[in-house]
Amino acid sequence: MIEVRHLEKTFPGTRGLLGHDAIKAVNDVSFHIPDGGAVSFIGESGCGKTTIGRILAGLETYTAGEVVMDGQNLAQLPRRQRAVLLRRVQLIQQDPYQALNPARTIEQALTDPLKVIAKERGADKAWIMHRLHEVLELVGLDPDAVIYKYPHMLSGGQRQRIVIARALTVDPSVLVADEAVSMIDVSLRLGVLKLLRDLRERFKISVLFITHDVASARYVGDDGQMFVIYKGRIVEHGLTDEVILHPQHPYTQALLSAVPVLKGLEEPGPDRYIPLKEFGHGQPPEHACAFAPRCPYAQPLCGQEKPELVGTAHQYACHYPKERHVVAVPLSE
Amino acid sequence: MSANSLPTAPPAAGITIRGLEVVYTTGQGQIPAVNGINLDIVGGQITGIIGESGSGKSTLAMAMMNAVPHPGKIVKGSVIIDGVGNMMTLDKESQRRARGRHVGFVFQAAQNSLNPLTRIGHQVLDLGRSHNVKDLRALLRRAKELLERMGMDADRVLTSYQHELSGGMRQRVGIMFALVLDAQIVILDEPTTALDMLSQASVLEIVRSIQEERGLTIILITHDMGVVADLADRVIVMYGGELAEEGKTEDVLAHPQHPYTRGLIRAIPRISGNLDQAVALAGSPPDLQTFVQNACLFYDRCPERMAQCQNHRPPYEIAGPGRKVACFKVMAK
Repeated sequence: MIEVRHLEKTFPGTRGLLGHDAIKAVNDVSFHIPDGGAVSFIGESGCGKTTIGRILAGLETYTAGEVVMDGQNLAQLPRRQRAVLLRRVQLIQQDPYQALNPARTIEQALTDPLKVIAKERGADKAWIMHRLHEVLELVGLDPDAVIYKYPHMLSGGQRQRIVIARALTVDPSVLVADEAVSMIDVSLRLGVLKLLRDLRERFKISVLFITHDVASARYVGDDGQMFVIYKGRIVEHGLTDEVILHPQHPYTQALLSAVPVLKGLEEPGPDRYIPLKEFGHGQPPEHACAFAPRCPYAQPLCGQEKPELVGTAHQYACHYPKERHVVAVPLSE
Repeated sequence: MSANSLPTAPPAAGITIRGLEVVYTTGQGQIPAVNGINLDIVGGQITGIIGESGSGKSTLAMAMMNAVPHPGKIVKGSVIIDGVGNMMTLDKESQRRARGRHVGFVFQAAQNSLNPLTRIGHQVLDLGRSHNVKDLRALLRRAKELLERMGMDADRVLTSYQHELSGGMRQRVGIMFALVLDAQIVILDEPTTALDMLSQASVLEIVRSIQEERGLTIILITHDMGVVADLADRVIVMYGGELAEEGKTEDVLAHPQHPYTRGLIRAIPRISGNLDQAVALAGSPPDLQTFVQNACLFYDRCPERMAQCQNHRPPYEIAGPGRKVACFKVMAK
């Protein structure tokens, strides 16, 4: 189990001609991931969701807050122990084309981490081969068909499965999937999403799913928690289906509106709203709602006072929360 | 004034493609990436061409402008653009003029088609000079109008370098370049693939409204059935360098006939409804073997294949008003 409390990450500013101010990429973010649970972070490019994933995977430091893994506070652990603990968190990145060395076969790519583990456990070569076949079968690939291939001989979906198989070699308890399907053909995405769900259910591996596509988050865990992030802050969170079916924050509603409407099968929700204004750069003012400049429902108050998260199980940070019907409605035949 | 003395708007330009064949010469032999395609692109509409990686959809788009990159080669066929002529037989200079003036092209990653070393405004002027535009001020004014039309601060964009713009903004700049010389036909090659959902939705919204305003002919190339279903008037499904199905978007979505089209629609991650309804397409996109086999291109992945399908390719035939499909099973019905 991972518990994150009031996490904060500030990237320092730079001076000079092209300098910029310090940027708070993550601001007061708290959540926990139960064993085998699913948590998804939704937001636009640049909202800070990737930084959260990288912090959990140990690739980024944080400036304030606590990350507690299995009862141990990461910041208080000696380096060695922290590294051992963090090995159980594996990051799956967006681009499977870059994550694999093009000059090495799948067998070579997967046996490297297995050799390290075999050494620690005193296991032999036969164990490595056995485990290699096992992880490939777990991700739905035929080991004999892929083992001697190079990454360029596989499709995007197969490559991402290899990346997941490699992450599984070290028996992780958490997978951080950062836009793990956005480089894959849409026709093959569901296969990878269902694989992640399967790993949760069979091996109690928790999944932190980071994406800009709300629809794909459902397939990893409609039973999980969904966090909507805007400019480093949580603006709405709750059970995934609850947030999708009863969105209260206008930003969540914009994200849901962005899901394409399938002509001939659906019609747009009556309140569908797509902001044409771009996500502005720079730090939002401390005493205003960060989304106000793009919000179609903004009132004077929104520019004067920052809304706090309210609600119980389903929380949202908006001065004027209101459920709106933005999701496409299926046409009845 | 009587109704028939009103000037009638000239019908928007369409494209007629006959027997088009593009071959890539590789170490393993000749690969027909576009294999004898006959296609009519209707003027004044949005036509979506959908296919997975390796389906030949981008090659088809480049072939429409007679600009297939090496080692590809157009070996047969004609592409007749209304008001321009046959792109295959025109002299080089007329072809060059047609690109940009008659046919605008927006590439997948706009940053790859923008010059990183000069400001956007300068590139507009360069474009004007290379097409002998006399009134460059008017050209800049049009560029400004278009950018503002797309919800951007035009003065800022024109004085920016491409790295100073976000992905969504760069894609809009790409659309501006395609339209600034008043092209009536615009080809968009994967215009939203690198964007997050909100930017994607706003770019699609812009394309939709500009198309309506100007009655443009738009060809949208993508692997995302959702994008086509949301935006296009007509859908053309491509597989392994050949056409599998086409028709009005509503018809194709509600009543897909080709098993491949059905699979593509079922594979769209959905925001509502039963999770188990959506299934990834089985198998892998076509490889080199697929292109040269005698069987139907989709044979290996088809859940409904018959004995007949193994030895012959199905012809592409009319299957209802405005519908065409290449499938023995559909024809047998």
